[in-house]
Amino acid sequence: MTAWNMRPIASALWRNRTGALLVALQIAIGLAVLVNAVYVVKQRVDKINRPHGMDVENIFVIASTGFSRDFDYDASWRDDLAYLRDLPGVTAATIVSHIPLSGSGSSNGFTSQPSKSGDDAVPANNFDVDEQAIEALGVELAAGRNFAQHEILPPTDGYEFAPQLIITREFAKALFPEDGNALGKTIYDGLNRPSTVIGIIETMHGSWVGWDKLGQVMLIPRIRSGPAAIYMVRTEPGRQAELMRTAEEHLATSNPDRLLRWVRPMEYFVRQSYLDDRNMAIFLTSVTSALLAITALGIFGLATFNVSTRIRQIGTRRAVGARRLDIVRHFLVENWMITTAGIVAGCGFALAIGYWISVKYELPRLDLYYLVGGVLGIWLIGLAAALQPARRASAISPAVATRTV
Amino acid sequence: MLGYYFQLAIRNLRRNPGLTALMVGAVALGIAVCVMTLTMYRAMSGNPIWWKNEVLYAVTMDFWDPNEDAHDQKPELPPWQLTYRDALAVMESEIPDRTVVMHKAVGVFSTEDGAVQPERVLTRVTSADFFAAFDVPFQYGGTWSAEADRAPEPVMVISRAMNEKYFGGANSVGREIRWDDREFRIVGVRDHWQPMPTFYDVNNGSLQESEEVYLPFGWNAVAEIYSAGNTNGWKPEEINTYQDFLNSESIWIQAWVELPDAATRDRFQAFLDNYARSQKEGGRHQRPINNRLTPVDQWLVDNDVVGNDDRVLVGLAFAFLAVCLLNTVGLLLAKFLNNAAITGVRRALGASRRQVFLQHLVEVGVISGIGALLGLVLGALMLMGLRALYTLDPTDTGGTQAIAHVDVTSIVTALGLALLATIAAGLYPAWRIGRIPPAIYLKAQ
Repeated sequence: MTAWNMRPIASALWRNRTGALLVALQIAIGLAVLVNAVYVVKQRVDKINRPHGMDVENIFVIASTGFSRDFDYDASWRDDLAYLRDLPGVTAATIVSHIPLSGSGSSNGFTSQPSKSGDDAVPANNFDVDEQAIEALGVELAAGRNFAQHEILPPTDGYEFAPQLIITREFAKALFPEDGNALGKTIYDGLNRPSTVIGIIETMHGSWVGWDKLGQVMLIPRIRSGPAAIYMVRTEPGRQAELMRTAEEHLATSNPDRLLRWVRPMEYFVRQSYLDDRNMAIFLTSVTSALLAITALGIFGLATFNVSTRIRQIGTRRAVGARRLDIVRHFLVENWMITTAGIVAGCGFALAIGYWISVKYELPRLDLYYLVGGVLGIWLIGLAAALQPARRASAISPAVATRTV
Repeated sequence: MLGYYFQLAIRNLRRNPGLTALMVGAVALGIAVCVMTLTMYRAMSGNPIWWKNEVLYAVTMDFWDPNEDAHDQKPELPPWQLTYRDALAVMESEIPDRTVVMHKAVGVFSTEDGAVQPERVLTRVTSADFFAAFDVPFQYGGTWSAEADRAPEPVMVISRAMNEKYFGGANSVGREIRWDDREFRIVGVRDHWQPMPTFYDVNNGSLQESEEVYLPFGWNAVAEIYSAGNTNGWKPEEINTYQDFLNSESIWIQAWVELPDAATRDRFQAFLDNYARSQKEGGRHQRPINNRLTPVDQWLVDNDVVGNDDRVLVGLAFAFLAVCLLNTVGLLLAKFLNNAAITGVRRALGASRRQVFLQHLVEVGVISGIGALLGLVLGALMLMGLRALYTLDPTDTGGTQAIAHVDVTSIVTALGLALLATIAAGLYPAWRIGRIPPAIYLKAQ
């Protein structure tokens, strides 16, 4: 396209500027929303897909509460675990204080040296578990060893610290920033009671998905205190749903002094924790798509209108020698001008909104390649929306020029 | 005349059905998205007890870690709950008209004869003023006495739903149910009550199902009931018994007071400050005195009940509506100009500018009306979709299920707003078409 026939297109456009201006404004808003929506959705999807280190798909969780005067907590959890571990198809079962990734949990501060003030404490998500936890959660023990059965402390009402611990690599790095090596070392709780790190887990997520210390996890060999118990059961791949039903049928009636609160796949809790992120991503994607669709329809409507009001002019141009390609080009260039005007304004909007979002969410500033991608996308949408009206215009016969309407 | 304009409008709309569908669709979609987003926003962040904003206050006191603020983001705020002993001090004061100290708990309902399956019930352990302070309605009976809180007496209030389940909806005042391993006598049945958000306790999210059972506050110390909500501590303390827990610096109690006027408010503030000073002299904590009485509006802001996601969604809804309106203006303009020749004839035959303007405005009204109706249906569908997004387990009645309650007020507000905006959007095209000099179009004929 040479510069000399841009001028007449631009001046024709200027004579009917109101419609064009409205479409340009739509495009500006569309671009601003598109760029930022893609950016926010990308953040959410990345957050949801972080590796959590556990075999979530094959785990289910059981919650039981004793309520009658005759309830014997010790006998109850021993019976339940024995039954679950004997079920064919169950890989391992453990009794836990909280369910990882569920939004409910416990966290405490720990130090690598005895500390007076506790100022330098490093926080960890801590879970009370027994010796089958590593297997039942499906986490990878990267170094050291698992708990032995005799190391598991019985339930107590009070607060005790176990002599052995297993922690994640991320927590080890936070405790020992120099070399990140915690295996065999002694660490201290808030009351300066010591304990030895006997194993390191490669990756495991704790309780709260919104916490930046999610990967700092500690397993404590201790049976949670009663009368409520939570069991986590891992099955052979693909057998989770079936074994969940079997276990529920048995446990619901096995002990009249307790109430089986619920039996649920672990996935339920993970989805619950990420529900807002997932829904925000779905919501932003659908509303943004609808918004772009409406903008495209607006472009299409304007182009159609422009064609239908200029039938005679087009016929005249064709009659004096313009090729069909020239007509298509005329409308596409006209449309491109409108789109570009919208894009220029939209870039400003997009950056302003991006700045606001980065401040509110404490996210890094919007990357410029999102903007570049958005601009290219809008150009394409604009072109596609104007193509059909432009081709219709080119089909107008030169004979129209000689007719009165 | 208006009837005739209406007929004209219908005829015009039928002349280009494609364009009409496009316009109606844009209006409908814009309205639907607005209705959905605003309904959601209101559910999540409105003040459900606005009429008491001048008298109802959340009580917070700062006995937190001297080395670290309770809130990373808002260091000026005290922690969000009270310790047990500070809650007792609040309860002792005679200054407020009403005092609510409370926490969430979980118990198991069962009957002596085992006729009903034992069931886990969400419970609120609270002082008697809970119901009066939050304007909670009763179906039968009422709350317990202040003495019942102290003694404590084995009395309880149950929800209407529980009453229907256990007593078939009959007046059950005086009957007994076992909560965990104790028998409690029913003194009241709470009627439907589901504030959104659940402002009085936002520790576990702001969309919680109302509790099914209410017990007098004194029962936590006697039955050793722990909080089923959040318990937070900062101080390494040896806690071996329930009494140790009650004496500890753990925060787990929510406190609210009703203060009728500014003078009472100042008196109560002074009482809190005096109490904190005496505690400080006792060597308990070394933070600056920071006791707050926070009205509900501010409480919701302080606790981030109005979240960033909600703000983004509302922004998005308005951007969406703006695009839909721009679209409608553009299309209306195109459509009216397309028929300019006819308008020219009408003008030449004596129609005034005002009449032409009115005629086109009627056409805009028809388009908006159809769009609004469609938009309402579409919005209802979207809300249903939204509910599905938030429901993980259809048998689960808690938490975000509360969003399922469709809020008529916010739908009407959103609808009215969107409809008004659409008609306003039609003003310019209708005016513009009236300004067309008739001669141009007559010449072309």
